[in-house]
Amino acid sequence: MNLYAIAFYALGAVMLVSTTIAVFQRNLIHAVVYLVISFLATALLFFLLGAPFLAALEVIIYSGAIMVLFLFIVMMIREERKREVEWRRWGQWVPAFFLTLLSLVVSIALITREPDARAYLITAVATPAALGNYLFQHYWLSIEIASFLLFIALVGALYLGRSVDGEPGDEAGGNP
Amino acid sequence: MKPILLLLLLFPLIAALINAVAGKNLSRKAVGFIACGGVLGTLVLAVVAMILAGEKTYELIFFNWFRVDSFSADMNVYYDPLAAVMTVMVTFVSLIIHIYSVGFMRAEEGVRRYFIYLNLFVFFMLVISLADNLIFVFLGWEGVGFCSYSLIGFWYEDEDKVKAGAKAFIVTRLGDVTFGVAIALFFILFGNFSILHIIENTAVLSAGMATLLGLLLLWAAVGKSAQLPLVVWLPDAMAGPSPVSALIHAATMVTAGVYLLMRLFPVLALSSITLSIIATVGAVGTLYAACAAMAQTDIKRILAYSTISQVGYMFLAVGAGDIVGGMFHLLSHAFFKALLFMTAGLVIQALAEEHNIFRMGNLRKVMPGVFWLTFIGAVCLSAFPLVGGYFSKDRILLATFMQPGALYKILWTLAAVAAVLTPFYTFRLFLTAFGERPGTLPRSATVPLPRFMVWILAPLALVALFDGLLNLPFGPGKELLAHYMSVVPGSVPNLNAPADLAWSMSVGSAAAVLAALGVSYFLYRRPKEGTSGGFTRLLISGFYLDLFYHWLIARPYRRIADFLFVRVDEGVLDSGFIKIGEGVEGLSGVLRLWADGKISTYLKMVLAGFTAILTIAALYWGLW
Amino acid sequence: MIVPFGHTLILAGILFFIGAACAALRRNLIMILIGVEIMLNAAGIAFIAGSLRWNQLDGQAFVIFIMAVAAAEISVALALIVYLYRRKNSVDADRFDLLKG
Repeated sequence: MNLYAIAFYALGAVMLVSTTIAVFQRNLIHAVVYLVISFLATALLFFLLGAPFLAALEVIIYSGAIMVLFLFIVMMIREERKREVEWRRWGQWVPAFFLTLLSLVVSIALITREPDARAYLITAVATPAALGNYLFQHYWLSIEIASFLLFIALVGALYLGRSVDGEPGDEAGGNP
Repeated sequence: MKPILLLLLLFPLIAALINAVAGKNLSRKAVGFIACGGVLGTLVLAVVAMILAGEKTYELIFFNWFRVDSFSADMNVYYDPLAAVMTVMVTFVSLIIHIYSVGFMRAEEGVRRYFIYLNLFVFFMLVISLADNLIFVFLGWEGVGFCSYSLIGFWYEDEDKVKAGAKAFIVTRLGDVTFGVAIALFFILFGNFSILHIIENTAVLSAGMATLLGLLLLWAAVGKSAQLPLVVWLPDAMAGPSPVSALIHAATMVTAGVYLLMRLFPVLALSSITLSIIATVGAVGTLYAACAAMAQTDIKRILAYSTISQVGYMFLAVGAGDIVGGMFHLLSHAFFKALLFMTAGLVIQALAEEHNIFRMGNLRKVMPGVFWLTFIGAVCLSAFPLVGGYFSKDRILLATFMQPGALYKILWTLAAVAAVLTPFYTFRLFLTAFGERPGTLPRSATVPLPRFMVWILAPLALVALFDGLLNLPFGPGKELLAHYMSVVPGSVPNLNAPADLAWSMSVGSAAAVLAALGVSYFLYRRPKEGTSGGFTRLLISGFYLDLFYHWLIARPYRRIADFLFVRVDEGVLDSGFIKIGEGVEGLSGVLRLWADGKISTYLKMVLAGFTAILTIAALYWGLW
Repeated sequence: MIVPFGHTLILAGILFFIGAACAALRRNLIMILIGVEIMLNAAGIAFIAGSLRWNQLDGQAFVIFIMAVAAAEISVALALIVYLYRRKNSVDADRFDLLKG
């Protein structure tokens, strides 16, 4: 039980707890904020697992752009303070809950049976330079396609978000 | 010879086909013309064939219908004097009836259909008369049954008439069952279906087998000829047009049963039990029908029961071993009964569909021709001395009396009583329908009838009147028919009766007839409707035979059919399928809950699917 | 030496199913989307762990693509939600049931 392991389990706990709380929130903004906490923990986990560049990207893109976008939209939606009565009717959530539990148990079982899974992870770091090199060497086509995809998403979001009376809608969040 | 007989068979069939195919566009007259032309051609050919053949017999092969291994149904013809006489009679009477029909159906719809069936009927009747192969006979047998059904129910819009046709068909069908069994037995015993072959080789039959075959054939004949106990269809069959009754239920189809027995007589003759039973059926039926005829009020029903009675005489003749006598009476009866039916048809049409004789009367001045024609027919039917029916009935009574054994004496008594009743009910009909009645007004408002309908019956009346000449028991032209038919197996030309017995019988019957006529005249000079007491009801319903069958067979059958329909067919089968359908519907109702259009539901479905796949894959990989 | 590879996978798995539960159980459209986000993120964790396990950079490259796609998808999805909100004035998933059978 070295430091890395402790860090891992601590971060894991934070992630799980905050995500769970986020899922059960009534207030959307609270949910988003808890999720941001989870993502920040994820970023630290990435750092632990030897991907510093991706840790940065996680903070910038996921927490910084996507979650902020969520917040924008949540604030645009002026929902009535009507309670979601879903928890009363147990027929609504009990089956799904047990299904999730079942799949969870099955997957954990699958994972633990796998002999490959017992191998310990050895610490390593992928420098951004090395990652970039590798990326553009082997996956340059996918990069291009991904950028194209983002462009299409931009156009789509722009079109869908327009108002009928010409008021400018929100722009889509995207990577710089 | 062969082409003559072939054309003889085909003429009415071709006429029917022409009418069926092209008749829609032809006028009423043209249709009738084609139909009558077909029968006329057949008649000419029948006479020619008779003259050419002389006293020879022919077996002619036309073509093979179907063949399976040794089982071969060929369309063969066996032409002997018996067949010759039958074909000439059938075609002659048919011709007159066809011409009469042209007038009778002058205002009816469906004339084309009528003549097609009528021609087909003649064709099938000729098949029965001529066929050698038993399967070919069976074809004709069923064919006449079908045509009879169609023609009885000709006015199909009236449900009662259709029911009468169905009743006829079903009852005769009961007889046909044993005919089929007999045919099968013949094949097993003889190896082929040829009548000629059978009657030449009757020695192979044991007495028991001969009795069995005889009884099977008797039952079939009983069905077709409307004898006891399958008698109930004939009175109801009067629902058809009068010419149909004349042709089918007087002259031809009802005689087909007798004819079959005569053709296969050598088989029957092997068993005296069979002959006794045949004679008994005939004699009892004769008396039964004569009694029932005495109380009927419908003119055609009287004639129907009279037919049953006279056909009973023919059965009696066969049972007494006298084919010639049976055939002689068959001829006489065909002529005068057809005549009577057709004059009855004229009266019915003239009085605008009036059937009840007690509502007729005073017709002598209005329709003198019909009056005299009916008189001639009535006289023949009554066996008035020296007239057509007298000699034939006499011969049958003589033949019966001469048979050994007490049974035949009893049967003779029954037949004699019926012979006394016959003139009685006949003239009851005649006097009531035609006689002068001061009470009723003269029927000046009768429907006018075409003259030719009356005139065409004249030749028939003449033939009926002088038909005794065919087989006089005395004189220069003695026993013509008997000698002609002497080559027919089983026929006895000469009864060899002691002369004084024959004389006393003839005189006795003449006296009885005259006496019965006198009584009838006395009673029905001023006819009033009879009492409707219990005895009358008994007679008029034919001794409640219809009711008996209804209770014994029809009602239980109906009950079972209803039960099976409601409880089994609807209850089990139908409702089984309906329940299956309801089950599926219920299932889809459950499934419908999952298609409620809500996104949350669909997401849950996706999750469920994913879980399922995961679990199955895990199990597949041997997890637990 | 950090942790056994299996532990990271289990962590990713639990996170994934939490996200799945969120997407399946919540009726608010935005919460469903959040569930999707959680799921994507969990996949990313798994990839990073795998990348470390086998010392390949492919896993990390793929996480970049995951993020790109997640961003694109979220933007379009949120635009759709805005549009739907303008139509029906509600983000309750059960309101949009025109596909009801």
